[in-house]
Amino acid sequence: MSAGAAVLTRTVTPGRRLRNRLASILVWLSVLVAVVPLTFVVVYVVVQGAKVISLDFLTKPIPIISRLPGPGMGPAIVGTLLTTGVASAMSIPLGILAAVYLNEYGRRNRVATAIRFLSDVMSGVPSIVMGLFIYTVWVLRFGLSAFAGALALGALMLPIVIRSAETVLKLVPNELREASTALGARTSRTILSVVIPAALPGIVSGSLLAVARAAGETAPLLFTIGATRTVNTSVFNGVNTALSTQIFRNAQLPFTGAQDRAWGAALTLIALVLVLTLVARLVTARFSRR
Amino acid sequence: MTLTETRSPGAEPTPPAPSPFAATTPGTADLLFRWISLASGLLVLLVLGLIAASMTKEAWPAFAHEGVGFLTGTRWAPAENVFGALPFVWGTLLTSLIALVLGVPVSVGIALFLSEFAPRRARRPVVYVVDLLAAIPSVVFGLWGVIFLAPKIAPLYESVASSVRSVPVVGTILGPPASGKSFFTAGLILALMITPIVTSISREVFETTPAGQKEGALALGATRWEMVRAAMLPHSRAGIIGAVMLGLGRAMGETIATALVIGSSPQITAKVFAPGDAMAAVIANQFGEASDVHRAALIGLGVLLFVMTIVVNIAARAVVGRTLQDEVAR
Amino acid sequence: MANFRPGGILSVVLVRNDNSATAARRSRRRLLGLAAVVATVGLVGAACGGSKGSDTGSSSSSGASSAKLSAATLNGSGSTFQLAFDEAAIAQFKEKQPAVTVNYGGGGSGKGKQDLADQIVDFAGTDSLVKPEDASKYKGGEFLYIPTVAAPITVSYNLKGVSDLKLDADTIAKIFSRQIKTWDDPAIKATNSGATLPSTAITVVHRSDASGTTENFTKFLAAASPTSWTIKAGSTVDWPTDTQAGNGNQGVASAVKSTDGAIGYVDLSDAKASGLTFAQVKNKAGNFEKPTLEGASKALDGATVNADLTYNPLWTDGADAYPITSPTWVLVYKNQTDKAKGEAVKAFLTYLVTDAQDVAKDVDYAKLPASLQAKAKAAVDSIVVGGSAGSSGSSTTTK
Repeated sequence: MSAGAAVLTRTVTPGRRLRNRLASILVWLSVLVAVVPLTFVVVYVVVQGAKVISLDFLTKPIPIISRLPGPGMGPAIVGTLLTTGVASAMSIPLGILAAVYLNEYGRRNRVATAIRFLSDVMSGVPSIVMGLFIYTVWVLRFGLSAFAGALALGALMLPIVIRSAETVLKLVPNELREASTALGARTSRTILSVVIPAALPGIVSGSLLAVARAAGETAPLLFTIGATRTVNTSVFNGVNTALSTQIFRNAQLPFTGAQDRAWGAALTLIALVLVLTLVARLVTARFSRR
Repeated sequence: MTLTETRSPGAEPTPPAPSPFAATTPGTADLLFRWISLASGLLVLLVLGLIAASMTKEAWPAFAHEGVGFLTGTRWAPAENVFGALPFVWGTLLTSLIALVLGVPVSVGIALFLSEFAPRRARRPVVYVVDLLAAIPSVVFGLWGVIFLAPKIAPLYESVASSVRSVPVVGTILGPPASGKSFFTAGLILALMITPIVTSISREVFETTPAGQKEGALALGATRWEMVRAAMLPHSRAGIIGAVMLGLGRAMGETIATALVIGSSPQITAKVFAPGDAMAAVIANQFGEASDVHRAALIGLGVLLFVMTIVVNIAARAVVGRTLQDEVAR
Repeated sequence: MANFRPGGILSVVLVRNDNSATAARRSRRRLLGLAAVVATVGLVGAACGGSKGSDTGSSSSSGASSAKLSAATLNGSGSTFQLAFDEAAIAQFKEKQPAVTVNYGGGGSGKGKQDLADQIVDFAGTDSLVKPEDASKYKGGEFLYIPTVAAPITVSYNLKGVSDLKLDADTIAKIFSRQIKTWDDPAIKATNSGATLPSTAITVVHRSDASGTTENFTKFLAAASPTSWTIKAGSTVDWPTDTQAGNGNQGVASAVKSTDGAIGYVDLSDAKASGLTFAQVKNKAGNFEKPTLEGASKALDGATVNADLTYNPLWTDGADAYPITSPTWVLVYKNQTDKAKGEAVKAFLTYLVTDAQDVAKDVDYAKLPASLQAKAKAAVDSIVVGGSAGSSGSSTTTK
């Protein structure tokens, strides 16, 4: 270990002290370099978005004439909630079940290892590839809809939910399982009544983080959801829209009216994601007091 | 023997213990439950397989049309049915490289801060800030980038570009043309976006440094920096590389922020201030109007991107996993 | 010894630091504080923002409307050149026929034509003609060109301190083919003796999508300056590599607006709405013309109209004609099989070529000359709905 050789002096020379100080400064600097732009971006979005946020903005349909200023983004909010909701309803139960398989039944078998590995691989697939995939298998046959968007988002969420749920399930002490089995409970009963409740806070917060991630995604929705100006509450029929795709579209327009709506939508989206993330943390902090 | 505080008491690193359920006799309900959960897990394999299969099938017309030229061609002209993907591969790699160059030092610095240099009270706010960075959707970064950053930073690029125009090596990278929407702006925003993941993994890796080595160094009189250099960095090298590769994978796949600020100008050039294009970005921008072979070619780009990110991710996990698994085995 | 956990931000799902009750309480308090901040920001923002007024204009008063139609949704896509006019017309049409919803998605003339061929949309906007060899791709059979409006294609630019640029076709061709690369090039100086031109590099912005505007612009360059413009004209063009692309007319406007030294071709409506400066272009008669609606109308007067209502107002004779005037049409199938949609399409198109002509100039489009307007209306009337011929509004008997 080179540290041994380097320190066979009796005092800390100025050179060493200087290098130490320099390293310290650089490390603090790197924190600043990350914190400053981030705060700037968030503040900028909040300031620009706050100029347009109003109840009208949140509820009115998207204006027909894109160059005029004015509300709203109501349909986009509904679309985001719809697609994210359906995606979560599909991927969270499936993800938890898969994690259950990986941790409870498959700790040592090869199928589980393969699933675990591929699930990690799947979490690295770019979101636009997910969108293209759903486009080729669903949209080409059944057309654009909120459900197609939800499929793409769900595919994105699945590996995240699996990983976080498996992590939490792994932390449940084996003693609980053994005690339940010793009392005569079936495996499935043990899992459902003992293991999952014990892991629930972690599962909930991991799922909420996955939901937050999905709510902010744009690329999977680009070719699956279409675009509309008015609220469409139907999941399977007809095109829909979402906050993220509206922001993407309006960011490319030169009209200040459209750009203002984009800022408003961005603020709404950030607020939604932040609320989900905060709730996730609250759940962890409150319930995981181990 | 552990000398550092336990992170989450009650949570031991469980090497796969034999299942406590091994001794039970499964009933029908159990079998059903087991098969349902197995099926959910197999869904992952199904989806991945479908992605590969269906997208390759849709992209086949373009591959057949271009042959190897798809990968090596430098021209992308939908009007003439010429589809060479190289400018986009170049753009993806260049912007990711810029993101790594700008983002990795900062992320490692933050990770060091969180594990060694931070005063107790400062640790948690910084963790929150990094998490906040991860939570901001990429489209919001893109919106800020295209409306605020690109126009404002263009004069800066101009002045740098014109001042280094004639300097030998630097001039070919930082020289003109300079445009607000460029590889560099895209790389800058990507750097912001990969910081959370690289920081988090680097921090995990740093924390697996054996306490004995760290405390030994300090006991022998090392300054904190010397301790980091001697005990932590060598141990963490592989893990940091893995973190970098995961960041690379993330940067390559990032679509929306890149699509908005990269300039939509497919060209192969080393000038980082020039406008360019990238794989994910061109798919997002051109797919809406594409048809027939053009659409197939864009899906082909998607397949290419899929393969590239998978390879990087697998390699990254192999590298990171080994470091963290070493720790578990101890 | 630290614990093994898979990497990534999910690791912070688990409580990382100390496990004392005070720490948990503290962290909870901090989280609640953060939550309060977020909520306050949201509330303050909502309180400060007042509700903005509605955006539709006053409804048109002319009484050529037919009886109220039953509910229908019309989808259209295509030319972004006519997008602003279509949006204004749709907004007003909604007031006349509230049960009909019209969606026009833009996307470029190429997309519109493709979508109509595939019958994904009910009508398409296009500024360029369908190639003869593509006519068979149209699954719905015969289609009609309905001219709606025309407008100048501006040569918009962003150059500090220069507000009155004059360019001739040759120079424009050289700029867009990257033979001229800086603003202080002698060719530009030649036509702008009074202006001080900086040495800024020129950034050329063009369309990334298949565009009728591109086709018309390049056709103009090919006709007016065949020696300098050697690139093939068309809806997608092999632009030189060091140029930028934008999505739709609006995307080009956005790029030009945000880049100093940029130049691009944008329809007048979007250029004005984006606050761009545009150049005067030398026409066939030798005069430098501003892109105005009058100039566009003069160009229309000089164009010959074919039997299928296509015409070419580019580079026409006429002392005051603006040389880069672009036509635009709505493509629609002559045989409409769905009764409700067919009626709605007919009503909407009738509206476009009659009442909407009066709002054209409010959004910077030139209305059609009276004779062309009449021919357009006749073409709309010839649309067959549900199998029986008839003017709009009349009920159909058989299918």
